Amino acid sequence: MSALALIFVVAGLGLIGWLTARARAASFELGGAKRLHSLPGQHGWYVAIWTVLPALLFIAVWSGMTPRLVQDAVLQHPAAAQLPAFDFERDALLAEAKRVARDRSATAFDPVAEQLVAPTRAAISYYGWIGAGVSVLLAFACGALAFTRIKARFKARTRVERGVMSLLLLASLIAILTTLGIFLSLLWESLRFFGQVPITDFLLGTHWSPQVIDANDPGKSLGAVPLFWGTFFIGAVIAMIVAIPFGLMSAIYLTQYAAPGVRRWMKPILEILAGVPTVVYGYFAALTVAPAVRDLAVMLGMPFASSESALAAGLVMGVMIIPFVSSIADDSIAAVPTAMRDGSLAMGATRSETIRKVLIPAALPGVVAGILLAVSRAIGETMIVVMAASGAANITLNPLESATTVTKQIVDLLTGDAEFDSPKTLAAFALGLTLFVITLILNIVALRVVKKYREAYE
Amino acid sequence: MNSPLPAQADRTPTDWNAPAMQKRIARRYAAERRFKLFGLAAVVLSAAFLAFLLATMVSQGWRGFVRTDVALTIDFKAAALPVDRAVLRTPGADLALAGAELENTVKGAAATQFGVGGEDAISEYAWLKVREAIKQDPTNLDRAVRIPVPASTRLDQALRGDGTAEAQALAERLKAAGLVSTGFNADFLRMSDSTDPVAVGIWGALKGSLLTMAITFLIAFPVGVLSAIYLEEYAPRNRWTDLIEVSINNLAAVPSIIFGLLGLAVFLGTWEVMGVRFGPILPRSAALVGGVTLALMIMPVIVIASRNAIKAVPPSIRDAALGIGASPVQVVFHHVLPLAMPGILTGTIIGMARALGETAPLLLIGMRAFIVQPPGGFTDPATVLPVQIFLWSDEVSRGFVEKTSAAILVLLAFLLAMNSLAIYLRNRFETRW
Repeated sequence: MSALALIFVVAGLGLIGWLTARARAASFELGGAKRLHSLPGQHGWYVAIWTVLPALLFIAVWSGMTPRLVQDAVLQHPAAAQLPAFDFERDALLAEAKRVARDRSATAFDPVAEQLVAPTRAAISYYGWIGAGVSVLLAFACGALAFTRIKARFKARTRVERGVMSLLLLASLIAILTTLGIFLSLLWESLRFFGQVPITDFLLGTHWSPQVIDANDPGKSLGAVPLFWGTFFIGAVIAMIVAIPFGLMSAIYLTQYAAPGVRRWMKPILEILAGVPTVVYGYFAALTVAPAVRDLAVMLGMPFASSESALAAGLVMGVMIIPFVSSIADDSIAAVPTAMRDGSLAMGATRSETIRKVLIPAALPGVVAGILLAVSRAIGETMIVVMAASGAANITLNPLESATTVTKQIVDLLTGDAEFDSPKTLAAFALGLTLFVITLILNIVALRVVKKYREAYE
Repeated sequence: MNSPLPAQADRTPTDWNAPAMQKRIARRYAAERRFKLFGLAAVVLSAAFLAFLLATMVSQGWRGFVRTDVALTIDFKAAALPVDRAVLRTPGADLALAGAELENTVKGAAATQFGVGGEDAISEYAWLKVREAIKQDPTNLDRAVRIPVPASTRLDQALRGDGTAEAQALAERLKAAGLVSTGFNADFLRMSDSTDPVAVGIWGALKGSLLTMAITFLIAFPVGVLSAIYLEEYAPRNRWTDLIEVSINNLAAVPSIIFGLLGLAVFLGTWEVMGVRFGPILPRSAALVGGVTLALMIMPVIVIASRNAIKAVPPSIRDAALGIGASPVQVVFHHVLPLAMPGILTGTIIGMARALGETAPLLLIGMRAFIVQPPGGFTDPATVLPVQIFLWSDEVSRGFVEKTSAAILVLLAFLLAMNSLAIYLRNRFETRW
């Protein structure tokens, strides 16, 4: 029986438990003069939780153990003696036998695997039925036990609510677990990488060509400085040259000048820019913007200009970031006390003078924090650079030349057919750790700046 | 008292009408107009970029929904395919017709009928259309029938006046003979990936997206809402709570590709604990692992939106419920949560829209396979719409350009629908207290 079907059976038992317990609790109220401590529904939930929870836990543990048990059982079979001793090959044959055992229409290619199909099928069904039997029994036993505890004075509500509270706490712990999972998995794989490649080679090396790695000195072709430069150049320089003026000016225009009707329509339209999937921007950058940039470069007298220039990716990325900068600038300008603006206007300053000399300086910490967040988003952006930027790692100041980024290299390194332990694959995790740490620092700095700014005006 | 200010009599009143002053004011007003113009230009240019982007996609993508057919007459009676008529009503029909070399028969018919280069005029999957026609009406095998079959990319391009001289000549000939027709390409919405741009469809990717979104919703929604409830209503002010809040705020800012690395290392990696190796927790390339990864990614979005919605419910509601004897759990689940639900759902839909458009993390966990069959379940190899767009954008064949844009239009339509729903929900159900 599959785990899914089993879960449905257990859920059905839980429903039965809920209904019977509720009916029983309600019958106390009808029959005797005794008042119930808890509502009948809460008695129902108490029994339902006891029916479902232990059985589900068992199913989770059991389905984690079954593959191991099945494999052990299959290896006991006489035909298993013919299996090669080498781990990788043996696993492949066992996996093939398992696949055929699951899917009756499939056939095995290897004769040894073919022989193992029958024992595998037998073992799967054997352990499957054991699991099904135990979990149904468990559900029934725990449910019945809970049912016998139902009395008029039984404090079902307290117990159910304690369960609900632990569920809530558990849900909020998932955020911590995810953060921890990200950090530990990146750190773990990076440490393995730095076991093979010296950390100084990686962080300070200026030559990046993962296609050809010298097995004796892998660090020589895994120097990430060109990637850091490319990421900074595309995400923090070119994209920001587009995003900051456009974002800031459109925020200023929409908050200070535009008629309410215009603002009501234009603000959501600009926000659509942030909702367009990045793969669409990437396609647009690669198909429309990059050729145009190359033509421009040819016109400017660079006959061999790259069609994967840093400029094309950076421009489109900048456009994507505009609404982000704009909405943060909008918020910080709105937070400046009106008295300051009115005071400036009353002194005879024009509106643009008020904006440039009063509002922007007052809102500056918020704007700067917003720009830091925008940079952190730009350097983490993946699809635009994967589709429009080049894979060639150059350190260049010319936006018409090609440059590559950390995120593009992560995708390139991990989508090839490399084994999991090679320095090439592990390098992706080291790059990921670097990216994670840098975005984290940017966010923390941005939060600090915002905090200081708040203290000034509240 | 010695005043630093000069005596009143020393000051001459400003002559506002002096030419110098007038010039200065004119300059200031000009600067004002310029500044305003810059602002307007920024808004207009941003909107223009969006319009240009959409216009480019529509102008290329509409062709993806249109298919050119060529009417092909096949004389099955003369071809005398060795097929048992009885089999054609059974599931074995596909195999029987393929075994009877139907594909070559169709190609041969095209070659004889359309002349030089005729077999290149029809798509490689044209014979599948013929097969459908035969299965629908087996009597077709006893006569000559005229069946519209999809034109090849080459002919399609030539019909638009783009291609080699021979192809153009062939296109002219077919057009003159009245054999060419165009219509809505329903197959684009029904079929899956293929090597032939004429035969590709988005159904496989769309189904993968739907399965992935289902997993994402089932995990991210309950976990996100429950943790929002905990943090907003019950959490004591202590170091643990601060840690949870910091984690959630940081996760919201972590680049999406990092979640792909997390999924790759945790869900698909192999682990060795005390000498026992246990393999990937979740199957590679499947909707399941994609859904879990995206759920972790959008969970902070849902938590933050839900907290704001819960915060907006006025305390008087809680006080009233507590006052008539509700327990803290009842207060939240019977009163606060239903009132906060519109805000929570709006945030959830926005988060789901973000997950639907996400590509990078899914590339890393292997959801970039070549999927010819739509996935049957959560554990089958699958791909999603944005990844399909990415894969098609890499194809060199020119026919893929319009298909990519068409797929983008479908994706944008879904996102637009989701965001409109979110706006509608907000306007319809949001209560101002």
